[in-house]
Formats: sequence, structure tokens, C-alpha cells
Amino acid sequence: MAEFLQHILNAIVLGGTYALLGIGLTLIFGIMKVVNFTHGELYSFGAYMIFMFSAMLGLNFFLAIILSMVLGVLLGGIIEFALLRPLRGANIDTTMLVMIGAWIVMQNLEQLSWGGVAKSINHPFPLDPLVIGEVSVSWIRVFVFFFAVILIIGSYYLINNTKLGKSMRATFQDRDIAALMGVNINRVYTATFALGSGLAATAGALLGPVFVVTPTMGDMAALKAFAIVILGGLGSIAGATIGGFILALAEEMGAGYISSGYRDAMGFILIILVLIFRPTGLFALKERYG
Amino acid sequence: MSRWISILWLAFLFSIPLWMIDLYVLHILINTGIFVIAAMSLNLLLGYTGQLSLGHVAFFGIGAYVSALVSLGFDLELTDTYTFVFDAKPVWIAFLSGIIAAGLFGWLIGRVAFKVRGAYFVIVTISFAEVVRLVSLNWIDLTEGPMALNNIQPFTLGIPNLWEMTLYQKIPNYYLVLVVAIVCYILIRRLVHSRIGRAMIGLRENEPLATSVGVNVTHYLVIATVISAAMAGAAGGLYTHYFRIIDPDIFLFIYTVTMVIMVVSGGKGTLAGPIVGGIIFGLLPEILREFAAPEMQWIIYGIAMILIVFFLPDGIVPALKNWWKNHRSKRTDSAEMDAGT
Amino acid sequence: MKTVKSDMSEVLLNVENIAISFGGLVAISDLSFNVYKGEIVSLIGPNGAGKTTAFNIITGFLKPNSGSITYRDKSLTGLAAHQVAKYGVVRTFQKTSVFDGNTVIENIMMGLHLNGRCKVWEVLLGLPRVSIENTRLEERALEILDLVGLSNRASDMASDLAYGELRLLEVAIALAAEPALLLLDEPASGMNPSETASFMKTVSKIRDEGTTILLVEHDMRMVMGISDRVVVLNQGEIIASGTPKEIQNNPKVIHAYLGYGDEDA
Repeated sequence: MAEFLQHILNAIVLGGTYALLGIGLTLIFGIMKVVNFTHGELYSFGAYMIFMFSAMLGLNFFLAIILSMVLGVLLGGIIEFALLRPLRGANIDTTMLVMIGAWIVMQNLEQLSWGGVAKSINHPFPLDPLVIGEVSVSWIRVFVFFFAVILIIGSYYLINNTKLGKSMRATFQDRDIAALMGVNINRVYTATFALGSGLAATAGALLGPVFVVTPTMGDMAALKAFAIVILGGLGSIAGATIGGFILALAEEMGAGYISSGYRDAMGFILIILVLIFRPTGLFALKERYG
Repeated sequence: MSRWISILWLAFLFSIPLWMIDLYVLHILINTGIFVIAAMSLNLLLGYTGQLSLGHVAFFGIGAYVSALVSLGFDLELTDTYTFVFDAKPVWIAFLSGIIAAGLFGWLIGRVAFKVRGAYFVIVTISFAEVVRLVSLNWIDLTEGPMALNNIQPFTLGIPNLWEMTLYQKIPNYYLVLVVAIVCYILIRRLVHSRIGRAMIGLRENEPLATSVGVNVTHYLVIATVISAAMAGAAGGLYTHYFRIIDPDIFLFIYTVTMVIMVVSGGKGTLAGPIVGGIIFGLLPEILREFAAPEMQWIIYGIAMILIVFFLPDGIVPALKNWWKNHRSKRTDSAEMDAGT
Repeated sequence: MKTVKSDMSEVLLNVENIAISFGGLVAISDLSFNVYKGEIVSLIGPNGAGKTTAFNIITGFLKPNSGSITYRDKSLTGLAAHQVAKYGVVRTFQKTSVFDGNTVIENIMMGLHLNGRCKVWEVLLGLPRVSIENTRLEERALEILDLVGLSNRASDMASDLAYGELRLLEVAIALAAEPALLLLDEPASGMNPSETASFMKTVSKIRDEGTTILLVEHDMRMVMGISDRVVVLNQGEIIASGTPKEIQNNPKVIHAYLGYGDEDA
């Protein structure tokens, strides 16, 4: 029983970061109809940035997280401006190919600049875990979880209660009508991509100190984000949030009760099962002809 | 005219081992040839039916693993008391098994994945390839996992007990790859020029319209996937018995990306496209290797991909065709003007 | 003025009590009508009356919430679009819809899909019957192009055609599928009057060769000039049905469809 509870707790803590990754991707996916292959690279970018600021330059840990976040937003904006804006109106496969190209370039630039050796990042939290009854969790994970939850709530607020969020929702509903109603589509797109990228970079900055940082860490992150989006349904923030927790739970259970080697396979197996049995996703009503 | 070009091409390709003494070059050509076959098979899906399948390497890898395992033999402890023993089979049976297994997986994936389209389809296919990779990595009893399958038999040609030849050398392997590539090319050409190929192209160009004249979309997409997967499996089998060692890295996403770059740069939906793209991006790493780190090579790959999408969205072959057409019409125009004066 | 060639005794298509709504919005509330063999029936009504939706339901692109569609004793209800085509019920689309990246003759050959018989393995083996069939299909395609008057454009790219020619190509693609019942969705929209006039002749010719036609069209000159019968739809319901003459004098129609009387000079 204790083991089971421990898995649940781990899943909840990890799920917060997964949800961040998923929300970022689902926003970009839903609003821009772009399959963002650079999402995982933004994640590893965030991790390398906190490594640089915190471990190399010795800045305050929390300041380093904020800086990574800001730089992620900036980088996302630049990618959108340079690569996606010129392809406005191109079909989904075309932008997908460009994003794959960008993904390859970014990953190998990381490999060139940081080398292939895994980096670890120290954090200011006590190393003794927080023990609650029979289960325990490390303090850094508790921090990561709460930070992620704050950002998730922030994203909800932004989408539902701000002018930008309103424009984003209008664009999601119908781009042409939104444009007719005076929404600046280009601005919405850049903001969406920057926001999604910022969330991915933050997820990286949060998990970098928990795990280690490697140039290929983004691949798995991107694939997991895809899984979360499929689980939650296209463009659904609530779906992505729940999807993040479901994926984390499936991984914990898979690793705990099947084999740890299949931890990373759980997401894909979930995707395939969802598409066989409920092709519209768990929470979406939209047709799946993205 | 185009017939003569084909004959000249073939003569050139068959003559290469006669004058190319550098075995390393031959090795690169064999490797490139294997990837050209994989790219041609991907083109059937990506180019002709218009479905961006990003899990293609799975079929390649399944062909490779099945072919290797059948030729090596294996045993599986199914229960404590029962062990399933599979004896080693001749390589050509193994090769065929790899093709069939890949085709079967193509059928399975086709049935599942074509419930969805566009971005979802892409993600399903990626997921499939990743699951297969993780299985090959973790099912160590069967695949040896990261330790790799070693000492795989090379191809053997001939009639058993009468005359046999084992393909240890580069030259016969080169011809084998060339012949398989030509067979695949002919099959794809026959297909796309038939009513079946037209149905595939039709649903790429305009799915509702194709449906309205009676094209059963799923049926033809599954057919395309099975044939495409089987060909990728053949390429995987060639790979296995030529390199004689495989590990789970064969399933890496980056190989799918390589195939996609080959198809897109050459020209998707054209017969020559994947060959041209395959040769360029098969040889490019060897040229870059001289003066660039592997990371730099990949960066160049990625940039090339972006540039191609931006500036040659239809690929090299259609661009050349257009150029040639304009060039010719200009020449005839000016010839007419000359005649007029 | 016009001889009615249809044989009112044989019902080809029977649409009975179909209803459909999208997210609470009722598109068709209760629609029933028959199409008899050999006639040209027009379905008219103001925008949003549910004409295209009815087409989509009959041809299997949409499933109705209730009701049934029967074609010659066989139920079409719930069949997939490609199965409906197999029965000989073929439609065109409101928005111009051809295979853009192919030549005109290739477009028709794609339409001839159901006419071919060759199996995948026969194609892969390159059996002689495959090329025999290809030649046959090509000849048939040329015949169809002849019928609609596009044979001079056979080897041009579809994307290079003029608008009027594109609309003809669409009809030709549908004809290639050998329909017994052809559903045309606003085929004359965007045509100029002389194009429409010659298009009407083409449609009559198609009917004379034995194809029954169900037409959705806004051009009243065409509807009244060509139809044997007209069915008027408004807000998802039939409000009138009869010969063009009867419809023109029906006060309900005039009320719902203000303005058509001026056009129909």
C-alpha cells in the first residue's frame, strides 16, 4: 500500500511539470495548427539556461529560473518570427518539416555548445526528503510542483481573463472571423508561440535540477508533450493539465509494476490506445483532422 | 528520350564496380542505396497518398530485426517449463520474413492510424516507432537489447547443395542492393500509373472528391502502407545482412527524418525524387565528414531542410523539370523568331 | 414547351423524414421527397435552407439523426460515401472541387475508379490486362471529355483551366463514376449567361443518355428552364413541390423566395 501511495505522490508531483509542457504545446497546436517539434528543445534550452545562470555564473537559484523563463519566451518569439511567420497559410506538413529542421539545428547547437556530458545542477533545498507517513518526497520536487501549479493557474488566468487571452480564444475558434473582428493574428501567433515556448523552457528549468541536463533530453520531453496533447484533445488547456497528470500516473505505474525500461513507452501506448478506443481524445469534441 | 536516359543511368550504375577500385566508396554507395530504397518506400506514403508518416523507421527496423532473428534463430522462455526454440533459417527466408513482418505491421498501423489525419496521424506514427524502439531495447531475451545482435549471416545466393555464393564482398552486395532498388522502383512505378495509384493520388489531392467517385480511402491508404512498409522492411533486411550487426538505435527518429529529407528535397510524389534526394543526402555526410564535426553535419542537414522547404517546396526534380521546360520553350521561341527574320 | 421524359412510375430515390441538427441548430427538420427515374429535379430554397446538407446526407458525407434514404429498394442510410458512389449515386461539390495537381484527363481517369477492376497484385506483377484496362479507361475518359466539350484541354493541368471549364470538369469527373443518379450542387454558380446556356444543354444531354439528375441551383433561369420538377426548401422543410410553372405561381414560394420572379424573365 505504501508503495502504491508513493507512486501516486510521485505522479502528482511529476504531473505538474508535464502539464506545463502539455499546455505550452496544446496552445501552439490548437491556435496555430503547428506541430511544434522545437518544443522539446525549448525544454532543454530552459534546463541549460538554469545550468548556466545558477551553476556556472552562480546567480541566485530562483532568479535563474525566472531568467530561463524570460529567455524561453524570447527564443520562442524569435522562432515564430523568423520561421513561422513567412510560412503563414502554408499547410500543416510544410510547417512541420520546417520545425523538424529547426529541432535538428537546435539540438546539435546545444550539443556543440555544452558537450554531450550530462550536467547536474545544485539547488538550495534540503536533501533530506519530506516524510509524510509512509511516503516521502524531496523538497525540490515539492517546490517544482508548486511552481508549476502557480504557472498553470497563471496560464488559465491569462487565457480566460485578459485581452490577449480573449484574442487567442477567438483565433482558436475561427482565425478568419477573429481577423475580421480586428484581432491582430500575427501578434496572437507570436504571443502564443512565445508563451508556449516559455512554459516549455520553465518546465526544463524546473526539472533540470531534479534530473540531469543532456542535449537529447528534449526528445523525450517533446514526445511526452505530444502524448499529453493527444490525451487531452487539441487545444484544450484543461485537457492538457489532466493529460499531464494521467501520463505521469501511467508512467509511474508502468515503471513500478511492469518494468522501469517501459516507463517512457507508457505515453505512446496511451496514445495508441486512446486513438483506437476514443479517437476524439479524452476531453475533446473536435474532429481529429488537424 | 526518357527511356534512353533510364538505360544510360542503369548502364552507369551497373558499371560502377568495374572501374571503382576504392572499396570504401562502394561501401558508401551500398549504404546510400539501402537508404534510397527506404526513401522510395516512404515516398509512396508521403508523396503519393500525402500522409506524413514519421514512424517509417519502425518498418525498416522491424524488417532488419526479423530478418536477423530468423537467420540467427532464437529461443524464448515462454513459461518456466516451455521454451520456444526457433532454428536458424537460410538468409533468403529470413529476408522474406522481414519483408512480410514489416508489411503486417504496416497493415496493423494502417488500420489504427488512419482513423486520424494530419498532425494526429504524424504523432501516432512517431509513437508507434518509439514503442517498437523501446521494445527492442528492453526485450533483451529476444533482441539482446543495447548489446546488439552480432554475427548476422551475410546473404547467400545460388541453389542449395549445388552452387552457392556467400556475399562477404562489397561488389556482390552492391549489385544485390542495386537489383532490389530497381525492383522496388518498378513496382512503385507500376502502382502509381495504375488505377490504384490514381486512387492514392486522388485522395491526396482532394479526399472528399475521391470519396465521392467511390474511392475507399482507408482501403487504399492501408494498401499503400503495407506496400511501403514491406519495401522499408526489405531495405532493413539488406542493412542487417550487409552490416551484420544491429542494435535498437536503428529505430531512432533521426533516421526517419533522414528519409523524409531525402524524399522532400528530391521531390515528393515523383518517381525520381527520392533517388535524387537519397543520393544527395546519402553522400553529403561523407563529404562533410572531412571538415565538420558530426553535430555540424546535422546542423547543415537541418538548415538544408529549412531552406528546401522555403525555396524549393516541391523539391529538386520538379524544379529541374520546370527549368528544362521553360528553357526548351524559350529556345523554340527564339528559334521561331530566327526563322521569322 | 418542354417534354417530360421521366417515367413517373419508377422511384429511383426515396428520401423519407430525414432530420439533422448540428450542436442544437436544426439544419433539416423533416425532409421527404422522391426522385423518379429519368427526370431532372431541382432542389431550391434560400441560403441556409439545407440543400447542401441534404446532398451530404444522401451521398453519405453526413449521417442523419433520423430518417431513411432508399435508392431502388436498397437502403443508403448510414453507408459511407464511397459505398454510396458504388450504387451509382454521385455528387459534385458546391465549392469548385477537382484534382488540382493533375491533368484534365487524369482527373477523369481518377473519376473512372469504379470502372477499373485490376487488383493490387495484378498491378504489381505488371500483367498485360492492367495495361489493356488502362487503355480502355483512357479511351472512356476521352469520350466523357467529348461529351462535356473539354477534349481540347485533355492534357492541360486542371489548375490552368478557366472557371467555366473547371465546373465542366467537375461534372465530367462525376460522370466518370457512371452515376444513375447525379447530384449537382450549384454547378452553374459563377458562370456567365452564355456558359450557363451551353451548360444547360450539356445537362440535358446527360439526362438523355439515361442519368437522372438532382440539382441544387440558384440560377432560376437554369432551374426553370431545365427541370421537370422543382422542390422548394425553406428552413429545413419542404414548402412546395411541382412543375416549374406551378412553383412560379405558388404564393408561399414567392413569399419565401422573394426576388426570383424578376430573374425568371
